[in-house]
Amino acid sequence: MDDSDEEYLSPSMPPSRGSTDSPKGDGVSRRTRSSANGAISDLKGANGYAWEDEIQRSWDIVKNDENGDRSLESIIQSMIEARKKKIMRNPSTPFQRGIIRTLIVVIDGSLAMLEKDLRPTRFAMTLSLIQEFIVEFFDQNPISQMGILMMRNGVSNVISEVSGLPQYHIDKIRQLKARQHNRYEPKGDPSLQNSLEMARSMLMYNFGGGHSNDTKNSKEILLIFGALFTSDPGDIHKTIDHLVRDDIKVKIIGLSAQVSICQELVNRTNNEQKSISSKNYGVIMHETHFRELLMDCVVPLPISEKDKAEQNEKKNGVPLIKMGFPSKIQPKFTVSINNPNFNIDFPQLSASHPTQGSEDSKQVVEVSTGELGSDMNPNNVIGYQCPQCKNKVSNLPTVCPVCGLMLILSTHLARSYHHLVPLAPFTEVPVSSSYTSQYCYGCLLMFPKGVSVKSKASLESMTSSRYRCMKCSNDFCIDCDVFVHEALHNCPGCENN
Amino acid sequence: MATTTTALATTTTALATTTTALATTTTCKAQPTYYNRQPTMDAISDRVFTESVDSSNDDPSLLTVILDLSPASWYNIKDQISINEITKSLLVFMNAHLSLNNSNQVAFIASGPQGSKFLYPNPGKVYDEIRTREEDVDREPSPGLVSKEMYRQFRVVDEAVLEELNQCLKEVLATDTHKSALSGALSMALTYTNRMLTLDQSISTTTASAINSTTNMKASSNAAGGSGAAASGTAANSVSLMKARILIVSANDEDDIKYIPIMNSIFTAQKMKLSIDVAKLGTKNSSYLQQAADATDGIYLHIDDPKAIIQVLSTAFFVEPSIRPYIILPTNSNVNYRASCFITGKSVDLGYVCSVCLCIMSVIPDTGKCPACGCVFDDRVLAQLKRGPVVMSRKKRKVEGTPAVNP
Ligand SMILES: [Zn+2]
Ligand SMILES: [Zn+2]
Ligand SMILES: [Zn+2]
Ligand SMILES: [Zn+2]
Repeated sequence: MDDSDEEYLSPSMPPSRGSTDSPKGDGVSRRTRSSANGAISDLKGANGYAWEDEIQRSWDIVKNDENGDRSLESIIQSMIEARKKKIMRNPSTPFQRGIIRTLIVVIDGSLAMLEKDLRPTRFAMTLSLIQEFIVEFFDQNPISQMGILMMRNGVSNVISEVSGLPQYHIDKIRQLKARQHNRYEPKGDPSLQNSLEMARSMLMYNFGGGHSNDTKNSKEILLIFGALFTSDPGDIHKTIDHLVRDDIKVKIIGLSAQVSICQELVNRTNNEQKSISSKNYGVIMHETHFRELLMDCVVPLPISEKDKAEQNEKKNGVPLIKMGFPSKIQPKFTVSINNPNFNIDFPQLSASHPTQGSEDSKQVVEVSTGELGSDMNPNNVIGYQCPQCKNKVSNLPTVCPVCGLMLILSTHLARSYHHLVPLAPFTEVPVSSSYTSQYCYGCLLMFPKGVSVKSKASLESMTSSRYRCMKCSNDFCIDCDVFVHEALHNCPGCENN
Repeated sequence: MATTTTALATTTTALATTTTALATTTTCKAQPTYYNRQPTMDAISDRVFTESVDSSNDDPSLLTVILDLSPASWYNIKDQISINEITKSLLVFMNAHLSLNNSNQVAFIASGPQGSKFLYPNPGKVYDEIRTREEDVDREPSPGLVSKEMYRQFRVVDEAVLEELNQCLKEVLATDTHKSALSGALSMALTYTNRMLTLDQSISTTTASAINSTTNMKASSNAAGGSGAAASGTAANSVSLMKARILIVSANDEDDIKYIPIMNSIFTAQKMKLSIDVAKLGTKNSSYLQQAADATDGIYLHIDDPKAIIQVLSTAFFVEPSIRPYIILPTNSNVNYRASCFITGKSVDLGYVCSVCLCIMSVIPDTGKCPACGCVFDDRVLAQLKRGPVVMSRKKRKVEGTPAVNP
C-alpha cells in the first residue's frame, strides 16, 4: 500500500514504475510476478520499453462523477486493488513438476558484455543477478544441482562444476567478480557450440552419479547471451540435434536483440513449433525485466505432455529415492549456571563430504572442538547425524560419506510442496449494499461498509475490497490475498476447519 | 488477587529492564563469535537473518502469542498447571512487553480444535471505557484478574483476552473433534504480522493511539473505506521499522499437526525474518515445533515444571530476537528434523521420496504409485530398494599372471 500511496500523492512520478512494489524484505515477494511468456509486468504496458510508454498522469484516470469524493475514494481504492491483483498471477493449476533439476548456466563472457547499457557493465550486472538467482534457485529447488559456464574468447570456461551447494557457486561467482580485471574479463567472441557441447557433457556426465541417476530428471541449460553472433568450430545444428536427442531444454535470455539461431535452438529443444516466439527465449528491455526473466527460470518446468504420455505407457516409472532426515545435534553443551564463561566442550568428529569434482574434493574428516576460538565458525560446530549409520556430517544436503544415504533436511523438501498443492485463487466479492463480513479474516482489517448502488458507472469503478476463499468462504483483504498466495501458500481460514 | 497480578506485572517490568541491561553488557563480550559466522548452506537457507543489520532497539515490536487450547493436552497436565494459571502468566508477559516500549503491540490468538481466533485485537469490540457496574456483573469473566486501577493499556488487553478466552473455551468444550488448528493460528499470526510490518497500522494497540481509540477506529474504517491512500499516508504510514515475533504455547503431545501448512508457515516466517518461539509444556517434545523454532532462530524450550512458567517467559522468551545472538540462552540443544510420512502421517527419519513431487513415504506403497502425484515408480528401483542390503559375494580374484585357461 505504501507504494500506491506514494504514487497517488506525487503524480510527477511515472506510474510505470510497477512491479517493484515489494515492500516486504528479501524474498517474500521478490519472485517475479510477470506471466511466464516473458511479457513485462503489468503496468509497463503491452510493448514494454520504458521509453516507449505513454506518459500516464494519475489525475487523468480519476474522473469525477455525481457521487463526489466518496466515489473518488473508491475509484482509487479499486485502482490500487486492481493493480495488486494483477501483480499476483499465480498459476494454480496443479501440475507435476520434475523437481530434481540439473541446470547449467552459461554466461556470455565475450566483448559484447562490456557494453554499458546495463550499469556498470552488462557483465557485472549479470554476475550480481546470477548471484541472486543462485540463492533463489536453491531455495525453490532444494535438491537440484547447478553448474556455471562462461563463453569467452571462442571457448568455454568452467566457472563452477555441477553441484548442489549454493555457497560453492556463490563463492565462484564472487571470485569471478573479483578477478574481472585480469584473467576473466570479457574477451573475444562467444561460441555457442562450444559451450552447448560442454554443458551437454556436464549434464550427461553428472547424470551418471549420485542420487539423480535417471532420465526423468530435467536437464536444462540457461544461456545468457549478450552478443549477436556466434563463432563456432563446426555445425551448430548438429549440436542442437544432440541436445534434442538427449532431452536437454534450453532457455535463453538475450541482452541485446533476438538472434535467429537462438530462436531455433530454443524452439527445437523445447519441442515447439518453428520460429514462434517462445516463453523460453526472452530479450531484456531493461534491468528489471532482466531480473524477471532470470527469476522465471527458478520455477520448475512443468512435465511435458510427452513425458506424461511416456509415464502412462509404463515404460519406466519415476525413481523412488531413499533419504534420511538427520537430526541436528549441538556438540557443544554450554553450561553456564553460575559463571557464564564456564563451558564444557566435547570434541566431535564429523565426516563431511565436499563438492564432487571440485579442487577440494578430498574426503575430509575434521575435528571440531567447539571452541569459541578464532577461526571456528559456530555453524560448523553444529552437526547432523545420519539416521542410518549415526555418522555426523556438517553440511546438508549431502550424501552420507559412510553409508551413502542421501541426507536432507525435511525443510528443504517441504519448501517445494506448495508447488504440489497450489492454493486456489480467491474471488472478488461483488459490490453490494451489505456484506456478511466486516473484517479481513487474516489481518482484522476493517472492510468498507456496503454502499447503495446508484448507477452502473459507479458500480464498475467500485470494489467490495473483499476477496473470498471459495473453500472456507472467509473474506480477505487484498493484501492478505496477495500475501497468502505469494508467500504463505496456506489459506488461514481453510486451516482452521 | 488483582493486586498480586499488577504487582507481578511491575516486577516483571523490572526484570525486563534488567534483562535488557544484561543484554547490553554481554554485547561486547560475545560480538566476535557472532560476526565470525561464515555463510554455509545453512546461512543461505535456514539462518537467513542472523546477519541482518540490527536496527536500534527502540523500534517497536509486535508480539503475537498463540495459545494451543487442545483440551486433552491440558487435561494431561492438570496436576501441574491450569489454563487459568497459564493465561495469567501470559497476560503478565504481554503486559511486560507492552511496558517496554510505548509503541509495542501485542496480539493473542487462541487455537483449539474448533479453529483459531483472534482474542486480541478484536476490532468488533471496544474495551476502552471502564464498564458500568451492571455490565461488570454480567460480562466480566473473572473480575479477580483485572482491576479498574490497572494501567489502561494493560487492562484493555487483559479484559479482551479473558473475555474472549472464556467464550473460546466454551466453544472448545462444545466441539468433539481433536484436530489441532495450530497451522491456522500460525497462518493468521503471519497474515496479521504481515499487515503490521508492511502495511498501515491503523488498528493499532499503541498506548498513544489507544487513548483516542474511537477516532482511531474511525480512521481505520476510513482507510479501508477507500481513502487508504490519504489516510494512512498521514497517520501511521512511516516505513515500518517494526520487529515481530511469535510465541507458541502448547501442551499438545500429539504429532497431529498438518505438515505442509506448518512447513509453509515456517518458510514464510523465515522470509519475513520473524522468530517463532515455542514454550512446550507436557511430556514430549514436538518435533515440528522444534523445527519451527530452529529454522526461524527462535527459542524452543520444553518446560518441565510449568508452575514457574512466568519466570521462563520473563527471562528466556523476553529477549528480543535482535539481541539474542549476544546472549547465551537456555535451550534444548538437539533438534529432530523429522519429516512426516504422507501415507501414515507418522514422523519418519528414514524414508523414501518420490522424485517428481518430493513427497515422503515411510514405506514403499504396494501399488507402486506415488500417493501424492500418482506417478508410477520405476520397477527396477523398487526391486532394488525392497531387496535391502545384500552382502556381495566376493568374486575370486584371479591370481595375476596366470593365463586364462584355454579350452
Ligand atoms: Zn550414514
Ligand atoms: Zn487482511
Ligand atoms: Zn480458505
Ligand atoms: Zn510423487
